[in-house]
Amino acid sequence: MTTTTDTGLARARRGLAPGGPGRPARNRASRLSSQTTKTYFWLILPSVLLLLLINGYPLVYAAIQATHNGSLIEAGDFVGFANFTEVLASAAFWKAVQFTIVFTIVGVFGSWSVGLGLALLLRTRIPARGFFKVLLLLPWVVPIVVSSTSWNWLVASPGSPTSALFNALGLGTPLFLADPTLAQVTVCVFKVWISFPFMMMMSASALTSVDNTVYEAASMDGATRWQQFTGITLPLTARSTYISWILMTIFCVNDFPTIYLLTGGGPVDATTSLVVYAYRKVFQDFQTGPGVAIAFLMTLTLVIISTILYRQIRKSSVE
Amino acid sequence: MTSSRPLSRQPFSRQPFSRRGFLGLAAAAAAVPALAACGGGSASKSGGGDAIKFWDMPWGTPAYNDAAKKIVEGYAPTGSNLKASYQIIQWNNFYQTFSSAIASKTGPAVSTGGGFQAFQFEQQGAIAYADKVIDALKKNGQYDDFLPGVLDPFKSDKGYVAVPWQLDMRVMWYRKSLFDKAGVAAPTDWKGILEAGKALKKIGAGGFVTGAGAGNFMGNHLVVQTMVNNGGGVWGTDGQIDVVNDRNIEAIEFLYELYSNGIIDPAAVSYTQDNHDAQWKDKTKGAYGLHVAGLTNRVGDTSGDLQVAPVVSGPHGDKGTLVFPNNIMMYKNTPSQDSSEAFLVAYLGQIKELWKQKQMNALPVFKSITELPEFTSDPNNVKIIKEWQPIAKTFASRGTKLSANTAVLDGGQALTQFAQTVLSGKGDAKTALKAFEDGLKSVVKS
Repeated sequence: MTTTTDTGLARARRGLAPGGPGRPARNRASRLSSQTTKTYFWLILPSVLLLLLINGYPLVYAAIQATHNGSLIEAGDFVGFANFTEVLASAAFWKAVQFTIVFTIVGVFGSWSVGLGLALLLRTRIPARGFFKVLLLLPWVVPIVVSSTSWNWLVASPGSPTSALFNALGLGTPLFLADPTLAQVTVCVFKVWISFPFMMMMSASALTSVDNTVYEAASMDGATRWQQFTGITLPLTARSTYISWILMTIFCVNDFPTIYLLTGGGPVDATTSLVVYAYRKVFQDFQTGPGVAIAFLMTLTLVIISTILYRQIRKSSVE
Repeated sequence: MTSSRPLSRQPFSRQPFSRRGFLGLAAAAAAVPALAACGGGSASKSGGGDAIKFWDMPWGTPAYNDAAKKIVEGYAPTGSNLKASYQIIQWNNFYQTFSSAIASKTGPAVSTGGGFQAFQFEQQGAIAYADKVIDALKKNGQYDDFLPGVLDPFKSDKGYVAVPWQLDMRVMWYRKSLFDKAGVAAPTDWKGILEAGKALKKIGAGGFVTGAGAGNFMGNHLVVQTMVNNGGGVWGTDGQIDVVNDRNIEAIEFLYELYSNGIIDPAAVSYTQDNHDAQWKDKTKGAYGLHVAGLTNRVGDTSGDLQVAPVVSGPHGDKGTLVFPNNIMMYKNTPSQDSSEAFLVAYLGQIKELWKQKQMNALPVFKSITELPEFTSDPNNVKIIKEWQPIAKTFASRGTKLSANTAVLDGGQALTQFAQTVLSGKGDAKTALKAFEDGLKSVVKS
């Protein structure tokens, strides 16, 4: 009865229903005895050691390769940061950076928009909702080799169904994979298509945590659907959205098969992303050092982006 | 009251086993895989100490590997030589597979593999030279059975890097029914290709079928083959890169001309192997173009309509095509070098069985196999051996010696980018060749 409007909104933004549990009054860590802390330390230690072995060794080995001019078999001579400077001075690298950015932005926000839209649609009472849920998950579930083959069949040649459809509509015969710009568009659309089910699941799961009473209250206050979406749905699902953005950014930047299976990075490097470029450097040009240097730069960029987005999550939690 | 609480909420001291005991158990569990990994090291020596490890790729038909395995299992070593074991290695990431295995000393003693793989691993000091094998082949008569010129590319200053066992040839194919329909004969020169292409285009057929999409290197091979066909190539006679020259410019201009006349499909630049083969399977589309020797088996058309085309002469009368001599190599990491050599000699003596059983799409390197009735029963095989094999040159052309640099050329970004530029009709021949040369120089070790 004493709940004010501000308090209710603040609680709602934390995803809490009226009357739900609030934040613990005291810091939990402060209650832990030193004996318990020690126990936790020893319990965690084996996992940490395993993680260090599994992740640390390849990382150190990769660092050695990135600073040497050897091959996959031998380390070669130490060259310092020469591989990095060589890569950063290459026009092909910056072209790959450009496409990676476009691919990631379209991949993240395209799949999020479609996924959120479908998640909202599936909240409504539509017939055969379960069937549609399963159907919409298929692009995510089907192995990428199968879906890329299907897409290739759909768009590869002038006689492909999509090209034939465009032709029938009087839009000419687009060369979806042979024209550099269209190939970029096709690869991005393909990425959105295979990724939206993941975003849909993330959004659907976030939406279930939003109490319906919040919408009811807003509706009673005269809020429109759009106002409810921008004022309630987006803020209350923000944490989940940021997490899904972080994950999808990592998926997009590291996505090798989507591009490689559909276009191989062509035509004329139009769809070469950083990960494809790194792969080709190592396994086609046999330039291990520069290839691994690219991978390091990618990792660094991903860490920075993830940190920024993670701060956004913390910020949204505080709010 | 306490005992009714869930176990996880109980204080540690009241749980069925102690904290120390639990930590000990966790440590033991963590140590098991680590110890197992350490223990595995002792058994990782090539061949396991009692057999020569032979790694083989999926060549030929799906039943090829069973046939090859049978040969290996049937190998009876003499004296103190070791037996051999057979392992299939898939093409996916094969270079990574070999590299990792060689680096960790768990690789094969003998293997087939990529066409230029032996030169790459030789550069890294992992290859055992095959001079003693060649000596043995001289003694048993097989040396004289090699087709002319197939052994030469493998001879380096230090010795034979590998021994060839099959030839992956690029030849021109044509569909006779479409040429008949278009009212033209199979071309024998570039002018003829252009005229036939125009006539075939009028009936809706593909006058010059190719592809340079994901994983399809036929377009790469086409651009080099056209240069070789005009007396050019990627390397000079001294083995140095020599791309921007008159013969190459003329050759690439010819491909641009085919593109601008609509004879090369504008979508070909993105055709995968499947898209490319689909053109040949379609009896109204694929009329003429460069492909592998076993095209009829590959696309399942043995009707006789698909035939090996006549050898083509360039504008200056030059003839030439590409051949990739696939080879068997030996590695220094072997339980017994004598056993590796003995096995390789014996295996080369038995490979005719693979052609007898019609498991191979590629051509043999031994004359005696080309005379087998199972081989000569296909007139296309006979034509390739008679007309195309004598004019075939390796990727090293105009030079003669293969090297690790040819591996960088084959499938490397520079060549792929060059082929895709040409097959998408972008720019001009000289600019495309210059970019190719610059790209290649940036990755090739001099």
